[in-house]
Amino acid sequence: MLVFSFENVGMRYGMGGEVLKDVSFSLEPGSLHFLTGHSGAGKSTLLKLLYLAKRPSRGLVNMFGQDISSVNRKDLPRLRRKIGVVFQEFRLFEHLTTFENVALPLRLKGARLADIREHVEELISWVGLEDRMQAKPPTLSGGEKQRVAIARAVINKPDLLLADEPTGNVDPALAQRLMHLFVELNKQGTTTVIATHDEGLVNQIGAPVLRLEKGELRVLPGTETPSTTNPYLRRKEDRT
Amino acid sequence: MKHLFRERLDFLPKEGRTDALLPWVIAVMMFLTCLSVAATMSIQSGLASWSQGLAARISVQIIQADDAARIRDSEAALKMLRATPGIASADEIDREAILDMISPWLGNAANISGLPVPVLIDVKLDNPGSVDLDALSIRLNATAAGAKLDNHQAWMHRVLNFAGIVKWGAIGIILMVLLSTVAIVIFGCRAGLATHHESISIMHLMGAEDALIAREFDYRYLWHGLKGGLFGLFTALMVLYGTVSLLQKMGQGLLSSLSPESHVLATLLLLPAITAFITMMTARITVRRALLEML
Repeated sequence: MLVFSFENVGMRYGMGGEVLKDVSFSLEPGSLHFLTGHSGAGKSTLLKLLYLAKRPSRGLVNMFGQDISSVNRKDLPRLRRKIGVVFQEFRLFEHLTTFENVALPLRLKGARLADIREHVEELISWVGLEDRMQAKPPTLSGGEKQRVAIARAVINKPDLLLADEPTGNVDPALAQRLMHLFVELNKQGTTTVIATHDEGLVNQIGAPVLRLEKGELRVLPGTETPSTTNPYLRRKEDRT
Repeated sequence: MKHLFRERLDFLPKEGRTDALLPWVIAVMMFLTCLSVAATMSIQSGLASWSQGLAARISVQIIQADDAARIRDSEAALKMLRATPGIASADEIDREAILDMISPWLGNAANISGLPVPVLIDVKLDNPGSVDLDALSIRLNATAAGAKLDNHQAWMHRVLNFAGIVKWGAIGIILMVLLSTVAIVIFGCRAGLATHHESISIMHLMGAEDALIAREFDYRYLWHGLKGGLFGLFTALMVLYGTVSLLQKMGQGLLSSLSPESHVLATLLLLPAITAFITMMTARITVRRALLEML
């Protein structure tokens, strides 16, 4: 079953012009895509449709076999819990600690406290923030916040991971590490869409690209490099 | 209600300025409500005890300018009243006591001792309906030409009318205060929703149900209502205690019977809980409606 499929989707805000025009594409389970395009091309709107913050003005959006246009509002939270989102501006709860921020999706799901503790601590260590477990976002650096946001997005083992400019606020070295993290998650079966401006990263990974230009979408096939030259895949193999 | 007892997620940041002011506003509203409720209930119970006391009593006045005629009429009236079945006692009120009663208007008793003051007879009935008062009045006039029966109905009617106005006025105040509280909570809630829009939006996108998001507001506004309610009640009780002390110092007259009784205090103690519940429900409805506007 497809994770997501868009058929002739159009989107406009109020009486304005269409921000997305006849967008059609689908996401296979376990796939990795980049979403690229200039500012104003409609990336944010497409992401909003993907994380179910908006319904399309026209066209068909299907998620896990369910038509989003006709799905009952009460069923949306269940669908949203299958999606992990890394927001560009992190959108962490400033009054909660790293641990509490990351634990929220599990608490929403009603997980047991012992399980929450075990999984959250493990994931926070995995993103390299074990010594910042009790720190609150105002005391974290941009890179640390980004990693907390990623941990929060993946703690629930989502079926679909959406990341909006996840490397936009970090230095190149950290950007490489974060991208490695996404590739790792994708290899574990999480369908991943990464919105980015960084053409370098896109070329390095070689995954298919969803390119938006003036609201119109083109799907560019991937140019996956052999594992020996792809730094992300090589690291994965090094460990195994 | 059951979701209220589930573990909290605590995703709302600490109270903002609008939130912090809300308990104080509720406290003022609660203070006014408590005073209105206490005044209404005290007036009601005070009037009940006055009318109960007066229902089994009548007064007879003998108005005669001539001293000899007044004495003759009063003796005849007393004799007739004491012989009437259903009358427990009939006693002439001492002339000195009458002069004392009118002295505030006419000066001290020494200067007015020569006045032809009417004779007053205090009549106690066996029970409020034991005597036909119309028939008694006719018989009284036949016995003593200057006799006039007063069953206090005219006075009681005026007092009861006044009490009715006071009661409905107080009920109006309580309703207005209640509506104002609801309106203020709605404004507070909407301001809170605007302030916490980002947090709510993130929770929404993470898959939180409306009920779960509303629960956080439930807790917050229940606590605001309870805090404000208890503070308002405490202040009102202080004022009522001062008023009661003042009334008791003024003696056992009409006003002292207006002191709040235990059932009034019990009602007042319930008010903070009622206020907290109304505050919470108002917040819940406001938040749920606002959430419905989101996808």
